[in-house]
Amino acid sequence: MSKKEIYAVKGLSVPETPASAQEPKPWKQTQMVGKGIPRVDAYERVSGTAVYPSDVLLPDMIYGAVLRCPHPHAQVKKVDVEAASKMPGVRAVITGDTPEARVEWTYSKEARSSLFDPHCRFEGEPVAAVAAETPYQAEDALRAIRVEYDVLPFVVDERDALKENAPSVHGAGNVLKTEKYERGQVDRGFREADVVLEENYRTECQLHTPMELHGCVAKWDGDRLTLWESTQGVYAVQAEVAEVLKLPLSKVRVVGHYMGGGFGSKLKAGKYTVIAALLAKKSARPVKLFLTREETYLAVGNRPPNNMRLKAGVKKDGTLTALDFSCTGTGGAYPSGGTSLVDWLVRDLYKCPNVRTECTDIAIHTGPARPFRAPGHPQGAWVLEQMMDALAEAIKMDPVELRLKNIPNFSQGKEGNPPYSSTGLKQCLEEGAKAFQWKVARSKALAPGETGRIKRGVGMASCLWVVGGGWPPSTVILKLFPDGSLNLNMGASDIGTGTKTVMALVAAEELGIPLGKIEIEHADTGTTQYATPSGGSKTVPTEAPTVRAAAISVKQQLLEMASKELKLDAASLVFQEGSIAPAKDPSKSVKITDLSELKKRGVVVGIGYRGPNPENKAIIPFAAQFCEVEVNTKTGEVKILRFVSTNDSGRVMDRLTYDSQVIGGITMGIGLAMTEYRVLDRDQTGRMLNRNWHDYKLPTALDVPLEMTSLPVDREDSQANSVGAKGLGEPVTIPTAPAIANAVYNATGIRITETPISPERLCRLLAEKRKEG
Amino acid sequence: MKRIIQLTINDKEYEVAVEPNQTLTDMLRYELGLTGTKKGCEVGDCGSCTVIMDGIPVNSCLVLAMQANGRKITTIEGLETEKGMHPIQKAFVEKGAIQCGFCTPGMILSSKSLLDKNPNPTEEEIRAGISGNLCRCTGYQKIVDAVKSVGK
Amino acid sequence: MLPNFSYVRPKSLDEAVRHLDSPENRIHAGGTDLLGCLRERVFGVAKIVSLSGIQELKGITETAEGGLRIGALATLREIAESPLIRSKYPVLAQGAAEAASPQLRNQGTLGGNLCQKPRCWYYRGDFHCLRKGGDLCYAMVGENAFHCILGGDACYIVHPSDTAPALVALGATVRITGAGGPRTVPVEEFFVPPTQDLTRETVLEHNEILTEILLPPPPQGLRSSYRKVRARRSWDFALAGVALALQFRGEEVAGGRVVLSGAAPIPWRSVEVEEVILGKRLDAETISAAAEAVVKNAEPLAQNDYKLPLFRAIVEEELSAIAKV
Repeated sequence: MSKKEIYAVKGLSVPETPASAQEPKPWKQTQMVGKGIPRVDAYERVSGTAVYPSDVLLPDMIYGAVLRCPHPHAQVKKVDVEAASKMPGVRAVITGDTPEARVEWTYSKEARSSLFDPHCRFEGEPVAAVAAETPYQAEDALRAIRVEYDVLPFVVDERDALKENAPSVHGAGNVLKTEKYERGQVDRGFREADVVLEENYRTECQLHTPMELHGCVAKWDGDRLTLWESTQGVYAVQAEVAEVLKLPLSKVRVVGHYMGGGFGSKLKAGKYTVIAALLAKKSARPVKLFLTREETYLAVGNRPPNNMRLKAGVKKDGTLTALDFSCTGTGGAYPSGGTSLVDWLVRDLYKCPNVRTECTDIAIHTGPARPFRAPGHPQGAWVLEQMMDALAEAIKMDPVELRLKNIPNFSQGKEGNPPYSSTGLKQCLEEGAKAFQWKVARSKALAPGETGRIKRGVGMASCLWVVGGGWPPSTVILKLFPDGSLNLNMGASDIGTGTKTVMALVAAEELGIPLGKIEIEHADTGTTQYATPSGGSKTVPTEAPTVRAAAISVKQQLLEMASKELKLDAASLVFQEGSIAPAKDPSKSVKITDLSELKKRGVVVGIGYRGPNPENKAIIPFAAQFCEVEVNTKTGEVKILRFVSTNDSGRVMDRLTYDSQVIGGITMGIGLAMTEYRVLDRDQTGRMLNRNWHDYKLPTALDVPLEMTSLPVDREDSQANSVGAKGLGEPVTIPTAPAIANAVYNATGIRITETPISPERLCRLLAEKRKEG
Repeated sequence: MKRIIQLTINDKEYEVAVEPNQTLTDMLRYELGLTGTKKGCEVGDCGSCTVIMDGIPVNSCLVLAMQANGRKITTIEGLETEKGMHPIQKAFVEKGAIQCGFCTPGMILSSKSLLDKNPNPTEEEIRAGISGNLCRCTGYQKIVDAVKSVGK
Repeated sequence: MLPNFSYVRPKSLDEAVRHLDSPENRIHAGGTDLLGCLRERVFGVAKIVSLSGIQELKGITETAEGGLRIGALATLREIAESPLIRSKYPVLAQGAAEAASPQLRNQGTLGGNLCQKPRCWYYRGDFHCLRKGGDLCYAMVGENAFHCILGGDACYIVHPSDTAPALVALGATVRITGAGGPRTVPVEEFFVPPTQDLTRETVLEHNEILTEILLPPPPQGLRSSYRKVRARRSWDFALAGVALALQFRGEEVAGGRVVLSGAAPIPWRSVEVEEVILGKRLDAETISAAAEAVVKNAEPLAQNDYKLPLFRAIVEEELSAIAKV
């Protein structure tokens, strides 16, 4: 099969064209959208021809490297670069003393810093940087730089940071802020409950560790800077770099055609981006600066660790009467959302009139957090979904039943309590339970008389994601050429989720152009249009309606052309398979490629803008996951046997990329649940110990179940936007960890309230339980 | 000091001047521009840099370029022929076994080596065969499905 | 990035030994451990002496007596897949198969697996620890969930090898060649515990090369197995492991060894378990006593007391399983 054959489609019909300024109607039937069509750039990705930013090789290019503070807290007294500057191959060295490197850096609005801040508040803060002819020479030069530090007292655990006499991160107490939320009368709610449970929980710090390292290639042409950056958003990088280096936006071009994963850690530029630009300027050479794996563990974000407590009240009939949640967390040395959205599921997922939450964000001497796939949500789900499981047991109700009893049809947490544009939580729970054979599996797991050391258990959890509808702005341009081929031009990055493919499908659907004739230009601030970074499960619901709007604009212009050609009113014409014809007399059609005005002009340009979301609606994706585990009740080894995930993300745009997201999200959730956590040398040096992929353990192919089923609740949400899709990328990873914890509880009777569910932890707990008898 | 090594890469003869401390990954990427071989960790943890050396998949970040003297190397760039993509590449495309694609070259080379030796592997054997290749995006299910579909 | 060094690929053992005239000259077999250590600057290097050109270090062959000679350069994959080893010494094949990842097993050698450096994150990291000539074992009061419960003394590493426990259990020996001539050492005596010398892991001198591993003929009634508990199913070291090589006479354990991985700075022969099971049938009572014995002398650190129930569990599990073979 050739590349063309894979992508070719025949006999495409297209939807009606709305008149100008009219909102397009939802697709009645789709030809391309919703099918399992292979990625438009699959060939590039399997053949090694896709050039990722870390693959970029430019003539005359040299290599940058960053020297980082090895202490969690220190003051730089002196940086001696004399020896390093004279090393073979060294072309530039910059430090905090270099005039052009004295630029401001903003980790967050609340706390400004500088590029080479002499007050290093976490291990991994840049202290100096070099560029040399080879990466090896750059590393040798780094090692020749002598730095004198005043090593200062540190605190790297948020549980220690509130103690009296704890070292201070920013010169006062370490509490950054406390956020409170309350509705109803919580205390009365607890009085009304038949059962009240209370428990402490903790989730450990998880690291993004995308496969491609963070970094960029920087090149100057006079006063114009071009950056090839591994990023989720080229325009975000452009804005940040332009601001820091005080350049007009037009002088900063950021290109990021391919990128090897980000998960939130590449939503913005890094200090490395600016450092690369400065090194390139100083050496007058293009500079490639990619971090080492170890550096990415320290300095480019994480999912904050959280300590949480939940008290919950329920009536015997399953009515939730009150939820009281508190949490502490840390985004590290600079305010970066250490508790952000951790309480959201408690506020919003289940019907409950009386809710109180309190979240305290704490500063410590570790690398700042960056958003990590569904910020806050997996942590909150770990708490709420285990609690729901415990409540169900306490009132002798099936956990699925308890959730079904408490499905809200409007957002209780959002201001004004907007109704959901659609909610498929019920379908997720019911269809998931059915596909999983929940009742059968649960009764088997609960069956008494099992004596062996291997025990089975099943568990489930559900979720929503705070915002799944996308939002403006976005601009997309479609260019139709006289031969009927199409160029799709958008600023959004395809971070691996299939954005390019979905957008090509939307254009193909609307215009009836086969995928093989569509080419995509994207993620380049020099040549493509403004888009916000790809993240937050918003790329499809933001960009797809924009592409559709652009396609409709192309169609309207073609109808105008045909109207002149056929001397008929445009309103009387319809599109059909590459032709335009009078609705009443299809035989008098004119082929689009024969339109004389199109030939003369050479191109028809359709511009699409992302319109506003419907007012007073919450556009929210929902999900439920079910899993079965096998536990060795002596060693604490857990084998995950199978997973079923049901997702309501509105219309399924492409089944192949959809399922990939689901399975990938579960896999990442398995990591959080089972093996991933940051280890700091808390009591001695404060340094991170597991800064590599053998000590920090991502799941391998042998750690995930043989059976994973993605079961979409495929219903278009016509209120959400013109394609009917909601976001998918984050809800897929939110309920995974608590589903596993609930299954382990089902198998062993042990509630694992802290991640990870490792043999170390479980073996200890099992032994304690046996001792207690 | 640089020395010249001779080796075969994707059935073509090469002479390359390399430093003793240069890894095979860096030689392929920097000296020859074969950037399909990815760099993820440089310590053999992730398998992104997997190449096939004398018929066996290895982490090229843990192979010194000099060690490759006289050896036969297959990189991802060497899989396609005039007849088109390798069946495993096609299967990855059709099954949607790709997300960001950064682990994909290494995954495909590990899979190829497995299938060369064992044309009909079980699901468990496939998982074991690719267990030295980390994927952070899409999990492993579809990759296993793709390899299985070639095996049949 | 690797530091600077020169590289030689001698054709003979003699030539290789001649190149080892400085402790900064490092032997390179599979390179999977060495290059990682060099990249992390765990120790210095001047010259890399590759063994890959020395043919006599390769291959797996049966000896005249019915034992096995394994060249030090035999890869872990060759060990794991060798029909000879799988049938006669399953514990060794299983140990090799449980090590590392597929690529690392393709590259890593048995000799290298025995000579690998500790996996303690302080030792591997940028910490001037006791073993590296400093004056503090950071693991003693630091993050020690993966450190030893037996045999620790001032330094609390665990030996990372999965093949070494199998070789100790099987009573294997290693052949060593060096400037001072060849010598043969039982694998059990090859490893150096911190009680003896904190700065080295094996008896190898810097100018010596481990050339081959010799396995005695499998004794009558030999049953062997390796069990490893790990946090991750691929590319992970043992939290706890047990290698069994037991000779059965009828249903009775007539001899053999029980060796632990993930327990101590060296592959740890559990004399306590051996004493319990020797001369006994592996009935429930004996197995239970053996499970208690395995950690009788253990001294867990602050974070690794889970290893006590874990070792009890796998000793119980494995003895039950081997009794049924």
